[in-house]
Amino acid sequence: MKEKTPKKYINPYLGGVLLGLVLLAANFISGRGLGASGAIKSCVVTAVTTISPSATESSDFLKEYGKAHAGSPMKNWLVFEMLGVIVGGFLSGAWAGRLNFKVEHSPKITSRKRLIMALSGGILFGFGSQLGRGCTSGSALSGMAVLSLGGFITMMAIFGTAFGLAYFFRKNWI
Amino acid sequence: MKEEIIVSGRMNQMIDPHLNIWHWEIPLYLFLGGLAAGVLFFAALFFINGKENTYPTAVRKAPFIAPIALIIGLLALFFDLRHKLYFWQLYTHIRLMSPMSWGAWTLMIITPISFIWCALNIRELFPKWDWNYEWIKETEVFLRKYQLVLAWAMMIYAMILGIYTGILLSAFNARPLWNTSILGPLFLASGLSAGASVTILMSKIKKERKRFAEIDLIVIGIELFLIIHMFMGFLASTEVQVDAAGLFLGGPYTMAFWIFVVILGMLLPAILEIMEIRKYHIPAFAPAILVLFGSLMLRFIFVYAGQVSRWLY
Repeated sequence: MKEKTPKKYINPYLGGVLLGLVLLAANFISGRGLGASGAIKSCVVTAVTTISPSATESSDFLKEYGKAHAGSPMKNWLVFEMLGVIVGGFLSGAWAGRLNFKVEHSPKITSRKRLIMALSGGILFGFGSQLGRGCTSGSALSGMAVLSLGGFITMMAIFGTAFGLAYFFRKNWI
Repeated sequence: MKEEIIVSGRMNQMIDPHLNIWHWEIPLYLFLGGLAAGVLFFAALFFINGKENTYPTAVRKAPFIAPIALIIGLLALFFDLRHKLYFWQLYTHIRLMSPMSWGAWTLMIITPISFIWCALNIRELFPKWDWNYEWIKETEVFLRKYQLVLAWAMMIYAMILGIYTGILLSAFNARPLWNTSILGPLFLASGLSAGASVTILMSKIKKERKRFAEIDLIVIGIELFLIIHMFMGFLASTEVQVDAAGLFLGGPYTMAFWIFVVILGMLLPAILEIMEIRKYHIPAFAPAILVLFGSLMLRFIFVYAGQVSRWLY
């Protein structure tokens, strides 16, 4: 190992600027913003269609998405973007000496509880992102970058709700 | 009875507008054959060099993958045959001009060699192994005496096997994407890279893993060189070849080829291996699995895209 202790994380404000530049680059190169939930949705639609095409036909939610992405929903910029996110995360983790298997959680709770909470939070966020037509990256970040009103509302809703409810869940972290 | 004279293949739905005959069986076999070739090549090479004790995984353990890969691959080939019961007729001919004949005979030679090699190293897996019968023990003594000869045969036939997996496609002059002589060396290199990766996955010795990461890096470099030259060749050729290359340069296979084969299967593992050699802490399985994935994807994409590529008429 080059360094025994992991490198420090970069300054969050600098990180934010870099993320903004990534978004700018994404718009410039692919003509689209960033997104995360869209890639998951592509996987879900593809999986459902493969296993049971009739289920896709009977659900407007799945059917419309399939129609909007002629060919295969997997041939989508967001799917490849997510692959890139995994690769980039892996490389940056390796570079910073931070690659190892562990569950990050507060010392006061168990790994099990942390995983269950993360999964439930993820499910809620998945539902929310589909009702709100996008997640933090797809709707809020990319939306605000093009001055979309919806983007600002999504951002306020996501962070406002998190801020308001944090009090009730703080014991899981501190 | 109404007699017909067929003067064109264009009425055949499986040939026109594009070939629709080879499915998952062929690329799977090409991958497994290449993998076996790679593993056996390194085993023979390091045995001949007298490095058996420096790289024991490559010489004694990794070759156990080869017969398994060859058997699964041959089963896949067998599934692909229309007239399964006549496969033995391949062995009633030797046709030097036919890649399939070369392949059939090469497999006929290298599969038994791979079994013998594993039998000679069986105590690596089962230290208390006993052959029970006197005549097997005598055969073992005999084969061990000539193991160097066996290693030379294994190395040469491993190379033929690796090259033949590519030549099988490139001899197909009706499909311009396959009809390039680069495919032989490219598939050989890809098989060697996959073989080195299997050794990295199986090895518990740091020095051996590092050496095979270095070998893999060199082979990946050669693969990239061959891919670049393949496209240069296509683009400098006739409209037909330019069209075939177009399948990967903006056509329907562009993303699959460049992202899965070149980026995830070659560049990313190369970066990880360079980091590993420079003493960054990288799980050794990561680049190895990526290389195996890329090698499999290369065969699949080439077999499928090649069937789509066509002459302009």
